[in-house]
Amino acid sequence: MEIIAGLGAGFLEVFQPMNMFVMVIGLVLGMLVAVLPGLTLVMGVVLALPFTYSMGLLPSIILLTAMYVSGTYGGAFTSILFRIPGEPIDVPLLWDGYAMARKGRPAKALGWTLCAALGGGLISATVMVFLSHPVAKFALTLSSPEYFAILIFGMASVVSLGGGSISNAFISLFLGLLIATVGVDSIYGTERFAFGVPFLQDGIEYLLVMVGAYGLGEVFQRLEKGFRGEEKLMGADQEIVTEFPTASEIGQLKGTFFRSSILGIIVGIIPGAGATIASFVAYGAESQYGKRRKEMGSGIAEGIVAPQTAATSSVGGALIPLLTMGIPGSGATAIILGAFLLHGVQPGPQIFVSSGPMVYAIFASLFVSIIGMCILGYFAIKPLVKVLDMPEPVVSAFVVMFCFIGAFAARNNLSDLYVITAFGILGYLFDKFKFPIAPLVLGSILGPLAESSFMTMMVSENNDWTVLIARPVSATVMVLAVIALVYPIHRQLRERRATRANKP
Amino acid sequence: MKSRFDAPIFKWAIAVICSMAAAGGALGQEHFPQRPVETIVPWGPGGGADQLARKIGKLLEADLKTSFPVLNVPGATGNAGMTKLLAAPADGYSIAILIGDTAATLVSGGARWKLSDLTPLGVLMRQNSGFFVQQASRFKTWNDVVTEAKAKPGTIKVAILGFGSVDDMTLGYLAGKGITLVPVPYASPGERYASILGGHVDLLFEQAGDIHSFLDSKQVRPLLFFSEDRVEGFADIPSSKEVGLEIYLPQFRSIVVRAGTDPQRVKLLADAIAKAAGTPEYAAFLKESLARRDSFIPAGEAQKFIAGEIATMQKMSGKK
Repeated sequence: MEIIAGLGAGFLEVFQPMNMFVMVIGLVLGMLVAVLPGLTLVMGVVLALPFTYSMGLLPSIILLTAMYVSGTYGGAFTSILFRIPGEPIDVPLLWDGYAMARKGRPAKALGWTLCAALGGGLISATVMVFLSHPVAKFALTLSSPEYFAILIFGMASVVSLGGGSISNAFISLFLGLLIATVGVDSIYGTERFAFGVPFLQDGIEYLLVMVGAYGLGEVFQRLEKGFRGEEKLMGADQEIVTEFPTASEIGQLKGTFFRSSILGIIVGIIPGAGATIASFVAYGAESQYGKRRKEMGSGIAEGIVAPQTAATSSVGGALIPLLTMGIPGSGATAIILGAFLLHGVQPGPQIFVSSGPMVYAIFASLFVSIIGMCILGYFAIKPLVKVLDMPEPVVSAFVVMFCFIGAFAARNNLSDLYVITAFGILGYLFDKFKFPIAPLVLGSILGPLAESSFMTMMVSENNDWTVLIARPVSATVMVLAVIALVYPIHRQLRERRATRANKP
Repeated sequence: MKSRFDAPIFKWAIAVICSMAAAGGALGQEHFPQRPVETIVPWGPGGGADQLARKIGKLLEADLKTSFPVLNVPGATGNAGMTKLLAAPADGYSIAILIGDTAATLVSGGARWKLSDLTPLGVLMRQNSGFFVQQASRFKTWNDVVTEAKAKPGTIKVAILGFGSVDDMTLGYLAGKGITLVPVPYASPGERYASILGGHVDLLFEQAGDIHSFLDSKQVRPLLFFSEDRVEGFADIPSSKEVGLEIYLPQFRSIVVRAGTDPQRVKLLADAIAKAAGTPEYAAFLKESLARRDSFIPAGEAQKFIAGEIATMQKMSGKK
């Protein structure tokens, strides 16, 4: 009851005009940075940090959390409409989201992301309010072996997607992992595949792989067809309405919502893992255990709901260890921690005693932010979908410009533009020769994370990799990962044998 | 439809403005500084180096009447930021934070700069590192650690920043004294602190100021500080000198500018920094960060201090 009363007071605090004002600003800024590939969510929060110096502590935190929340959502637009993931979070979203949009239902796809963001956000905010202490305790028991196992599961479950050739998927994944190893390794500082070139020493940003292979690759493909071939997605005279899923449609997906929220919260809590991993793992889990797992990737709602729900719910998850222990659970929360420190407040167990009302106001602001974000999103969908009415060459030109600005903005490095073009060509060739792009992008995003957690584990456990199966949580996840890997191979072999037997 | 295009154009404009600000060269010779002085922080926002840059920037801004915008350039143990500094013209409009761990890369390898590339403007912070344990740890005193490390060498795990860091060198020195500990690198502070609170490691190598909240909330406690005398505020915790370990290597944070910058500008900046470091506000900041009260070393002696620390690191790591 104490919690409810505290939360009530928190809501009153949040509805102060100043707090509401900064929240709206935060939500809009968060969406903007999420849309542009070069400006990541974390960078956006970094850029906003200096503006908080002159503010009070509460408005500063409200501004940054609002940016964080809407940053997990804004990229959905470009991802679904143009196949440009604004953030790595949005990569799994485009697998089904873009497919659904190309089937002529972009408004519906965006409606689903909105529902997912709302559902995931509210579930995780509720968990954060009522269960932060026990959940935080559990999170502390997880360490690098679990972290590594979760990443392996994420990769394993996505390899089997799409139903195409498994060996092609593996080639694509390993190529992605190989790209991720270029540069200086994070543990021993050894140079790999750099050949003494300073540009390579800094590594190849996953952003270039992600935006190049998807965004540019798609444009090249359309260019080849001379921008014909695709019929108009929407009749020009047709009235576009945001298509919200009906209550019964949502009801059918309640398992997906539930699973993905829980996954999102757990991944969010683990220090170092954030919305990106949550999004990949939730998509992977859905394609393994969902009711319609066979259709994943073909443009079904589950494939949109799972990653978006998990991404937004990871926000609440990441805030739990920050507030209860002073440990940031993700990149963005590390900066929010910085904002706390700059205002002379140390998050940690004592914060609930020393600044209780403020903590509840932060909790309350998360609820309001999520709802506010969805309202903003609702009004954004209609004009955004209209963009697709423009002639395809025009849209494509903007896509190219968008990709290039993104690639350049990330590091202010001109040579990154050549790299992104190269990946665009690679993406195009992949599509042409029926190699899946998803594992390539996945490998380049998750590879470095998996490597550093693996190395930390090996160093910590005296090079004894068996801890992976000796610890219960990592063992469970590893078994799931192995099943996820072996099952599709087995299935493919069986199908091949069956077709061979059928041949005379 | 408008909102759809506003976004990229808006950000593109920012990108253009930023690049112009960066490229706009050495115009205006008479008055310095005429435009904002970019403060490169080779670490992420919110960390110790970042907080220092923002604090000093605020104090300098009031004095020199220009702003000191912070640019975070994390990566390669601070080397990405150093590269950035050395790529900018030597006109005093770019300054950077150089910390002990980045200096350590001169010894351990991976440094993309030489000490002679830089002119220090002052050492602003010195914090003694120490070993910390979870509140409920089986180690009550430093001696407990030594006893167990000698009985079962290579079983006690220590969370450190990374291989080749000052942390690693200190553990190397201890190993030479027969106290073999296992270093486990966690680059992100969040993971490092979670590892000690979650019991995945036994000891944490850190500066007290960075884990203020864990000390205040009695989640961790110190066992030993690497210092010649006992550290202020921790009167009952032994110093390394007392237990016969003559290694100190405090974490230092200094401000540097490119070598070859006009001496007048260097002097102007260095004087302003010395003035800022003398303010009560800065003293309060040092106290809050649990840094040494006598942290500040003026520009004249800073070069000697940093070179001395690097020489010590070289000796410790056994490299020439």
